[in-house]
Amino acid sequence: MQPTYAAIPSRTDVAPPRDLDPYVELRRISDPLRHRADHVAPVAARSDEAPPALVAAIDAARSWEIGGEHDPDNGHAAITPPETHALTFDAIEPRCVAVKLPRVRPKATGFLFPEGASWIPPKPESGESEATSKRSPPKRSRPGDQRTRIRPPQDVVKLQDRLYYLLQPPLDLLVGSGQLNFPFEPFPYQLDGIAFLYPRYACVLADEMGLGKTMQAISSIRLLLCSGELRSVLLVCPKPLVSNWVREFGVWAPEIPVAVIEGNSAKRDFQWRSRDVPVKIANYELLMRDRDSVLDENSHFDLVVLDEAQRIKNRQSTTSEVVRAIPRSRSWALTGTPVENSPDDLVGIFDFLSPGYLNPGMPMTQMADASRDYILRRTKDMVLDDMPPKMYRDADLDLTPEQWAAYEAAESQGVVTLEGLGQELTIQHVFELVLRLKQICNFDPATGSSTKLERLEADLEEVAASGHKAIVFSQWTGSIERMKGALARFGPLEYHGKIPHKKRETVIERFKNDPDSRVILMSYGAGSVGLNLQFCQYVFLFDRWWNPAIEDQAINRAHRIGAAGPVTVTRMLARNTIEQRISDVLDQKREMFDALFAETGSGDSTKAASGGGLTRDEIFGLFDLRAPGGKKVA
Amino acid sequence: MALSDAPEALAYYTVTQNERTGWTGGLLVLNHTGRPLEFQCTLPVRPSRAHEILYGPTLQEHLIGEVIAPVLLKKCRTPIAMICCDQPESFRVRERIDLPVALAVEAAEAEEGPISIDTVPDTETIPFAKGHLCVLSHQGDRVRALSDRFRDFPDLVEPFDRIREAIREAQIQLARAA
Repeated sequence: MQPTYAAIPSRTDVAPPRDLDPYVELRRISDPLRHRADHVAPVAARSDEAPPALVAAIDAARSWEIGGEHDPDNGHAAITPPETHALTFDAIEPRCVAVKLPRVRPKATGFLFPEGASWIPPKPESGESEATSKRSPPKRSRPGDQRTRIRPPQDVVKLQDRLYYLLQPPLDLLVGSGQLNFPFEPFPYQLDGIAFLYPRYACVLADEMGLGKTMQAISSIRLLLCSGELRSVLLVCPKPLVSNWVREFGVWAPEIPVAVIEGNSAKRDFQWRSRDVPVKIANYELLMRDRDSVLDENSHFDLVVLDEAQRIKNRQSTTSEVVRAIPRSRSWALTGTPVENSPDDLVGIFDFLSPGYLNPGMPMTQMADASRDYILRRTKDMVLDDMPPKMYRDADLDLTPEQWAAYEAAESQGVVTLEGLGQELTIQHVFELVLRLKQICNFDPATGSSTKLERLEADLEEVAASGHKAIVFSQWTGSIERMKGALARFGPLEYHGKIPHKKRETVIERFKNDPDSRVILMSYGAGSVGLNLQFCQYVFLFDRWWNPAIEDQAINRAHRIGAAGPVTVTRMLARNTIEQRISDVLDQKREMFDALFAETGSGDSTKAASGGGLTRDEIFGLFDLRAPGGKKVA
Repeated sequence: MALSDAPEALAYYTVTQNERTGWTGGLLVLNHTGRPLEFQCTLPVRPSRAHEILYGPTLQEHLIGEVIAPVLLKKCRTPIAMICCDQPESFRVRERIDLPVALAVEAAEAEEGPISIDTVPDTETIPFAKGHLCVLSHQGDRVRALSDRFRDFPDLVEPFDRIREAIREAQIQLARAA
């Protein structure tokens, strides 16, 4: 390697001359070996005439030469004086270093979806159904960021299982493309309900009455059957609702065979064992009679659905025991009133869904947190923008003099009697007095005088005159009998426990179609669930039930999807009587309901179905009595 | 492969990038009704600083088209008729497979802005499932034939959301496990 040299001048006073004319064209010296700070002398000056071409020439005498010896021939002065020293440096020797760029090798994982999984039921045969399957996107379609996606519940832990649900197409998209067929276009919240039920092995659909829990459950069952995730389903409901379920299956899942467990013992036994029909429907009472067949060790259901699941809120009841023992993979509970009296009602339902998950006495907030992922509850106010309003009209009435006299006598005498019972006093005694007083609030037993009936007659005149129909609810068939005569001009029909089941459908059909039948008189027990009377715009609560949730169920016979218009609910209440005291206690109950379900959607109990009835202590408290062995409840 | 023999499945492919986790690819195979048949995804890939410097602005194309896509396609067991993507960089994978690679225009425009012939040269646009596919010109006939067979396909864009949702879910699980 040759050393390189650098010249280090020993003096620094070397500077180019400064007398250059700016109008001189310079000729560059490009020879790199002769880096002279050449001084160029002007060869032509500027004149007023057109400037001649300028040429610059090197004035060698006034130039320096770098690095060379003095050249007397050229007249150059060497700028490197003789005493300059030369130093040598090692040359920079670049080294080549290879940077290895590793190839990026991602790891992949995945899975195949089960073969045959499909949500598409067999091709419809009729042209009408075919038409519905090719309809245009639904009117209620949602924007892309609000798709109805099936999301796995928290208790699905394995990633593959969670992705199985997440990667399914959104339900609203399938409805819009005609791949999911419904006889009527579902509301978006109903698709949300289906998306909630579909992936869940344990859940409560607790929508307010009238929002279509039945439709949501049937549609979810249908999807699961079509996708092969279910093969056998048992649906348990109150006996009066069996025909309703059969009818609804015919509407929402016509291609799915349904069998009602009924008939004599041998026939039922055969039906329980049969595997030909995927969906079996049984009522609660029958379930207990057939417990041996239901609980047979060879029997197993992929899904058991309990309608009106509040039936099993009492964990000690035989119904609850039998239901909990049914061999099954999935458990769904449907109820508009998951809690009626206390948070422990929910424990009863969860003992069916997931035994031990909730415990009696659990703090309410803790229970609400734990159950949140399992419960879906919506109210009409939350989900139905176009639902007609429900207007309450409280008719606080003063008893007639005859009623008042009878009432005061009965109460004072009754309380004296109760106090005289001392330690033998039971809730049944108190209950009897309450019922007696409430009956007097309806009718004076001696004269039949009734302030409520007078008001009802007046109101019904208006209802009939406007061409509408009304439902009147009462707790007692006796009261209904008394009303019937006075309301004869409105063509009253009866629907209560004394009407045989076989005749009830006929009564409803007549009420729907007979223009002379302006009013139907119903008992809370028979008429509060499962009936669709949305053509009625007036509901009268002749007396108040113990439990506001039952009242709400009754009202929702008329105020439900398809309601013809605003529903006016007249709540009759005898002022300054036991009815008013009960009403005050029930108002407090609604607050408890709010606290429990505030996070699952429904938070406004004044508008929602809610709350429960009276407890033992509260019933004693109505008369300022002390429950034996308990505290006095004022 | 004759058009009539083409499989009845589409592969949706997208890659997500997260500062914390890196680049994750997902491949979702759907039948003609949009139902899922298979899902494959990668573990997150984190290119080194050296990759970032040396690949420069071409890193994204390298990862999406040359690194992640081939791995997912190799793992995929379901025969597929076409790859549908929402990132123009995915076109790079066409050099490794003999399948139409299509850019879902409406999906890509959400990130890339308007897609034109300048964005992806030598391509043409074909209507597909209420949207448009940008495909290489020489693959146009194959995609047109598929478009007819997939006329019941519900939505061109939506499946990408499913993949991203699935990747997010997988990353949540990974984070919990870590």
